[in-house]
Amino acid sequence: MLFQQLINGLTVGGVYALIALGYTMVYGILELINFAHGEIYMLGAYLGVIFFAFFSAAGLTSYSLSLSLVLTVALSALFCSAYGFTMERIAYRPLRNAPRLSPLISAIGVSIFLQNYVMLTQGATDKVFPHLQGTGGLTFFGARITYLQVCIILVSFFLMLSLHLYVTRTRMGRAMRAVAQDKVMASLLGVDIDLVISLTFVIGSGLAAVAGIMVAMYYGLVNYSIGYIAGIKAFTAAVLGGIGSIPGAMFGGIFLGLVESMGASYISSEYKDAYAFAVLIIVLLIKPSGIFGRTNEEKV
Amino acid sequence: MKTSVVATLFLVLLCVSGGCQKKEEVIKVGVAGPMTGDQAKMGTDFKNGVSLAVEEWNAKGGLLGKKISLLEADDQHDPKQAVSVANKAVNEGVVGLIGHFNSSCSIPASDVYNRAGIPMITPGSTNPQLTEKGYRGIFRVCGRDDQQGKVGAEFVADKLRLKSVAVIHDKTTYGQGLADEFKRFISGKVEVVYYGGIIQGDKDFKTVLTAIREKRPELIYYGGIYPEMGLLVKQARELGIGAPFMSGDGSIDPKFIEIAGPKAADGTYLTFSPDPRNIPTAKVFIDDYQKRFGEIGPYSVYAYDAANILFTAIKEAGTAEGRAVAEKLHSSEFSGALGKIRFDEKGDVTASLYVVWITREGKFIEYWRPGH
Repeated sequence: MLFQQLINGLTVGGVYALIALGYTMVYGILELINFAHGEIYMLGAYLGVIFFAFFSAAGLTSYSLSLSLVLTVALSALFCSAYGFTMERIAYRPLRNAPRLSPLISAIGVSIFLQNYVMLTQGATDKVFPHLQGTGGLTFFGARITYLQVCIILVSFFLMLSLHLYVTRTRMGRAMRAVAQDKVMASLLGVDIDLVISLTFVIGSGLAAVAGIMVAMYYGLVNYSIGYIAGIKAFTAAVLGGIGSIPGAMFGGIFLGLVESMGASYISSEYKDAYAFAVLIIVLLIKPSGIFGRTNEEKV
Repeated sequence: MKTSVVATLFLVLLCVSGGCQKKEEVIKVGVAGPMTGDQAKMGTDFKNGVSLAVEEWNAKGGLLGKKISLLEADDQHDPKQAVSVANKAVNEGVVGLIGHFNSSCSIPASDVYNRAGIPMITPGSTNPQLTEKGYRGIFRVCGRDDQQGKVGAEFVADKLRLKSVAVIHDKTTYGQGLADEFKRFISGKVEVVYYGGIIQGDKDFKTVLTAIREKRPELIYYGGIYPEMGLLVKQARELGIGAPFMSGDGSIDPKFIEIAGPKAADGTYLTFSPDPRNIPTAKVFIDDYQKRFGEIGPYSVYAYDAANILFTAIKEAGTAEGRAVAEKLHSSEFSGALGKIRFDEKGDVTASLYVVWITREGKFIEYWRPGH
């Protein structure tokens, strides 16, 4: 049972981590909590359902299921990145030098807008993701894992690793870290700040979209309100790991998933949502900046 | 400046006169339920059933010489929202209300209707508490969970002769109430190896199902509504749990099969009232409904009957005054699509029958009647 719960926790945790990365990257650079990020995840799930339905209508799914899944993920991620890019241009860039509360309120506005936009265009009822044929599973150590779960865990770890390498090893990644440390100094040294910020939103939204589609496939159920609770959980994960820290968000997401599944199985499933927040409170009491968070003495 | 004042005055007058005229002609009736959100299907079934009755009465010349107009109230299966839309319906001047669907909405909303002296008939709230409060104007045309849980327990203990069950619920008034009634009637006959709640609206139930798998129950009973039921069944099969599921009337909806997948849903037992398609009096209604809205939902016929009963009571009372209508509802016998209906002192139907349905190849089929 322990092993099965580990698998359950890792699957959910991987998804939390992917969403949490978007929160933490944006916070790291803009010190803005992008409350609309959960809605991007929801849009990703919807776009996944729509593209997949389109491909099955076009006959591509019966020709090659894996190809159509890859295309679905790629297209939805692309669309969501565009949403993320547009969101930053419309709602946050004009407010970049405004008091910190203004972009926060703008973020809440975007969140409400996107939720209602999807509700009005797609309807308020649940959309069902088609049941994938051949979604059997593996059994080992008494635990059953569906191929989809294997896929979710592998994809989330692959994306996290890629992001980590991108941020630490590439020119653009270095520019991102520079902007996160000091925007003015980075711009004096020739870093295109607008480009870096846009890229942050594009990457974060793409990751959230992938998380959204994987969840749509895993649970088979999508509605316009799923972004809210997923956003809150992922935000908790980001704060838990230390907001602004990329490894922190990854760790926080996985940790949160595991805490939820262990709490639900060994204590009681009735208070599943409460465990995450209980752990958050404990961590913040002991280490207010989060597990991987640094106290920013360089800003003094 | 002057023109704008004149224009405003003109507009105000127009609105007032329009409002007056409307008040003269129509008699307002409300229909309440989850019209949007994940249970929107149930609310829409209510609305369709009631609007069919309204159309038929209006075609025959209306009620008390006035046309009936329908006010739609969306409670989004949220108790707070239910109270708020109930107050709104009362302020709009409805003379009676059909709804709500979730017991957790109907119970607080019934306080509002009771205070306003407006009769309320629910087509689908089965929690016993609703009619135990002694309100004269609160009725239901469906059965009660204590009857439903009993039939479920009899089926599991006497027909299937199982040794162990797991019981889960969604912590709502309806879900936990039903699960508790089932547990009460089954205790002593069948061992309950797991009892616990889940969160309504959650999507991941693998943790609770993993815990249940350890206990190896022969059947899993769920008190709750179809979105979670569908996900529970789907995820249980993914975890390799082969035990059949059983649930109540809240899960008997085609969406349940769609979410779980026809293969995973196969062999699921559900307690519900007998198939209206087998009731001769319901045939006309079903034909009309299908022509107008498509396939009937599980509660469409109840909503239709509830509306007809309310209109008949208003007609027989000769007034739309709430207390007079409520007394008429208590004293008369009504014949609807489901057959003869009479209310007892509490507002429950005197004869209600639950049977067990089974899911077979993506369809719900009536399967077992108590005493057989």
